[in-house]
Amino acid sequence: MTTESQDISDVITSAAPDAKTRRYDRQLRLWASTGQARLEEARLLVLSASATSTSILKNLVLPGVGHFTILDDAITSAADAGNNFFLEGPSSIGKPRAQEAVRLLLELNDGVVGEAITDKPISTVVGDLEFLSKYTIVIAHNLPPSQLDTLSKSLWSTASAPILLTVNSSGFLAEIFIQHAPHPIIESHTESLPSLRIYDPFPALLEYSKGLDLDNMDPTVHAHVPYIPILIHARSRLDGIPKTSEEKAAFKKSLLELKKKQDEENFDEAYAQAYRVWAPTPIPSNLTQHIFPHLEDKLAPPVLPPSIHGLLVALKRFTEREPHVLPLSPALPDMKASTESYIHLQRMYKDRFNTDKEVLKSLIPEEAGDIPDDLVDTFIKNAHGVQVVIGEQYGAFDKDPSRIANALEIAPKDLGVHLALQAVREEIEAAGKSGDALARVEREALTKRVLAKLAKGTELSEEIEEAIGEVIRAPVADIPNTAAMLGGMVAQEAIKMITRQYVPQSGYCVVDCIDMRTGVLV
Amino acid sequence: MPSGCPCVSLDASCVSASHSSASVTQSYSLTQAHKPTIMATVAEPNAIVDWPDRYAHIDQILENAGPRTDPAFAAGDEVKGFLRTQAKVLVIGAGGLGCEILANLALTGFKDIHVIDMDTIDVSNLNRQFLFRPKDVGKSKANCAAEFIMKRVPGVVVTPYFGKIQDKDEDYYMQFNLVICGLDSVEARRWMSATLVNMVDPENPESLKPLIDGGTEGFKGQARVILPTITSCYECSLDMLNKQTVFPICTIANTPRLPEHCIEWASVLEWPRIQADKKLDTDDPDHINWLYTKALARAKEFKIEGVTWSLTQGVVKHIIPAIASTNAIIAAACCNEAFKIATTSAAFLNNYFMLIGTEGIYSYTFEHEKRPDCPVCGGEALEMTISADLTLEELIELLQEKQDIQIKKPSLSTADTQLYLQAPPQLEAATRPNLLKKVSELVKGDAAITVTSSTLPFNLTLRIVYN
Repeated sequence: MTTESQDISDVITSAAPDAKTRRYDRQLRLWASTGQARLEEARLLVLSASATSTSILKNLVLPGVGHFTILDDAITSAADAGNNFFLEGPSSIGKPRAQEAVRLLLELNDGVVGEAITDKPISTVVGDLEFLSKYTIVIAHNLPPSQLDTLSKSLWSTASAPILLTVNSSGFLAEIFIQHAPHPIIESHTESLPSLRIYDPFPALLEYSKGLDLDNMDPTVHAHVPYIPILIHARSRLDGIPKTSEEKAAFKKSLLELKKKQDEENFDEAYAQAYRVWAPTPIPSNLTQHIFPHLEDKLAPPVLPPSIHGLLVALKRFTEREPHVLPLSPALPDMKASTESYIHLQRMYKDRFNTDKEVLKSLIPEEAGDIPDDLVDTFIKNAHGVQVVIGEQYGAFDKDPSRIANALEIAPKDLGVHLALQAVREEIEAAGKSGDALARVEREALTKRVLAKLAKGTELSEEIEEAIGEVIRAPVADIPNTAAMLGGMVAQEAIKMITRQYVPQSGYCVVDCIDMRTGVLV
Repeated sequence: MPSGCPCVSLDASCVSASHSSASVTQSYSLTQAHKPTIMATVAEPNAIVDWPDRYAHIDQILENAGPRTDPAFAAGDEVKGFLRTQAKVLVIGAGGLGCEILANLALTGFKDIHVIDMDTIDVSNLNRQFLFRPKDVGKSKANCAAEFIMKRVPGVVVTPYFGKIQDKDEDYYMQFNLVICGLDSVEARRWMSATLVNMVDPENPESLKPLIDGGTEGFKGQARVILPTITSCYECSLDMLNKQTVFPICTIANTPRLPEHCIEWASVLEWPRIQADKKLDTDDPDHINWLYTKALARAKEFKIEGVTWSLTQGVVKHIIPAIASTNAIIAAACCNEAFKIATTSAAFLNNYFMLIGTEGIYSYTFEHEKRPDCPVCGGEALEMTISADLTLEELIELLQEKQDIQIKKPSLSTADTQLYLQAPPQLEAATRPNLLKKVSELVKGDAAITVTSSTLPFNLTLRIVYN
């Protein structure tokens, strides 16, 4: 944004984007420089250099993640060289897999730092919280269950520990899970819009709308009054809010009767938006049910950063005051209007936004410390979409028989895939075949493991049988298309967690590349 | 596979030796791969350089049927032979999706891949088009991508074409088993889909080429399988496209409210007024700068906030946000379908997969239905109710705006009259007077109007009803 005093030619030279902005243009349009900065501060630890792991990394190196480490002591096999794009075919065979992968991944972006750790087995770091804590996110693919268990426990032991993103795949089937501490999202990029305050206009807007002299207006001006003041004006002439469908229909009809000429689109817009007069915009339940009641206990710092906690406390206090609304967002959608009337309306919204902002700032508790003004702005603009995703420990679902029983009813296919994938990882570890690209498993052994996860006496459904059959077909196959798809999905989730923008996946996300569908187990 | 999977005899050392001991593979190198003993005995020069265990992962799928696999699946050498020595696929686009598609196809075992792209590499491609490096900026995407894949995945032959899909004829498209589109242009997709529909000859099963189409925008995307004339085609689903925001000229000229209005004013009205015949090149930073300066001045005059360089570029170039991860998901979905179709190792998608990654990993898989009155694959006439006073010109305008048709520059005729023809110039001039006449005067009763387009292999029959 430029200030009035700036000369235009000065602005031009500083406005044309630099090389980095040009390179990242298509992603900055999604998560902006704030998201990009977080991405560039992030440090990833990836356990194993499998095809799936390098696919994930590719999609994080390209947008410019700060630093990554691949920890893998494997030597590139012939099978690895055939299915991993970040190995150089036969010439990589016999060389340390992580080293080869890091070298080829770094070619994608010279702004990224990467390293390979090849002298430590994965088993030696999964319980080492001091080592793990150097990272923002730990990504694990097809980790043996005992190691995954230790890893998830280490990372669950404190709220400041890294996020765990784990992927389990066999052939066409896969699942993804994210373990994280309560995760606040200010910029959720929700598609729902903030309230325009037509139902409960703030004083300046009400006064302006009431004062409109529609009858004696110049016809051109009349055809350019924005629909917001038209609606508030029309409603102010009624005794109360239209309640019955007859009253609502009559109100809508009265809007069209205000037209001076048939082609006045602003009145057509008012007609189309008339429901806003009787439809309040309640404070989202994400705030009232999931955030406000828990600010003093399970969301208290250090679970939430003090600044975000402070803003949420202030928001709660703000909504407890009359007229029990969120602070006003300055964003005004486009509507049929003259430049003057639109800018005037926009000014009113901005003034109110500034007033609300000062009130909100005065309600921030002292212990929140200094909060930068642009964070307060961002917070108010996105207040209607603010979320805190609570998160849970990896495996909590599997320890709860009622959740499994529920999934058996409502998501039998997804549950089948989940159980079969869990069972195959256990079976392969038990047989000592982890890392063997040709390992096979027996149906009987797998079925036994799946049954052990279900309530006694449960009969295997067709869906579960099918999932078991598919996993037996390709128990350790890390096939290129599934790897690439997981690479995209896990990277999207990592980006959402790191940038703290958009909403991450909750529960197990199950991916079935035969039916080409995804499902969720919660 | 509609064209059948002819069994190819392969030397055992190539494919079936996938369970040889690890010590052999460790000492294996690319130079050895060229020794004739390891080469397959197949005539195709591209079916070489397979080292033992190369396909250990994918072969788990190809050697065993799953519980949901079609009983006709020819597990083992037959299907591997078809995939690795016979199948020939065409990739349209070597951009965000195209780079991913080429890499996936190559790793999956397709050895004969062709790619078409008319674009050159821009620096803003590098955040996702991972086969390109800064030194490649300005070069052909198709050529660069092909070269990279062949270097990285030995034995795969990628044949690039740096040009337009419209340069190629039906004979060219007939040589492929299937076509995968990774495009950002609606126009090109419509052309490709319509061309493949027109190619279908019911007497010749080989003429039916499955089309797999992918598209992304930000965290969202879709992948679909089109069996031309059998399932819904690209044209059938035109109404699913988001309508592009069009700012009315009067708003731009008289009542700007948004920064976008000021930018449109600069590019649509000011540029032609001041620069006269000079063509606006939205890839030229100097041109963007000019527009930005003009837009900013106008915004200041009207007290409108928010004109930035980036917004100016975004508005005039119609930039769609794009990231590597979404492209990876959608390209993988497309290639997974290509693999399933080529191998019958699993049922393929019927027929539409939609992904929304903004809130969790949400997807929706459904069957998009064929439109009986689809101008490309439907065959049934489209009924349109119009006023008896409507002129031919207004009807043409209506056809261009109609969300499910969006036909550009249509020519209209009936069985016995040419109503309006866009070309050649003599006929255009001869039929131009009709534009101002009423449709009801030109077309008697319920006579059918045939609509054709210069930009599409398109043939729509309209039946007019007057209200």
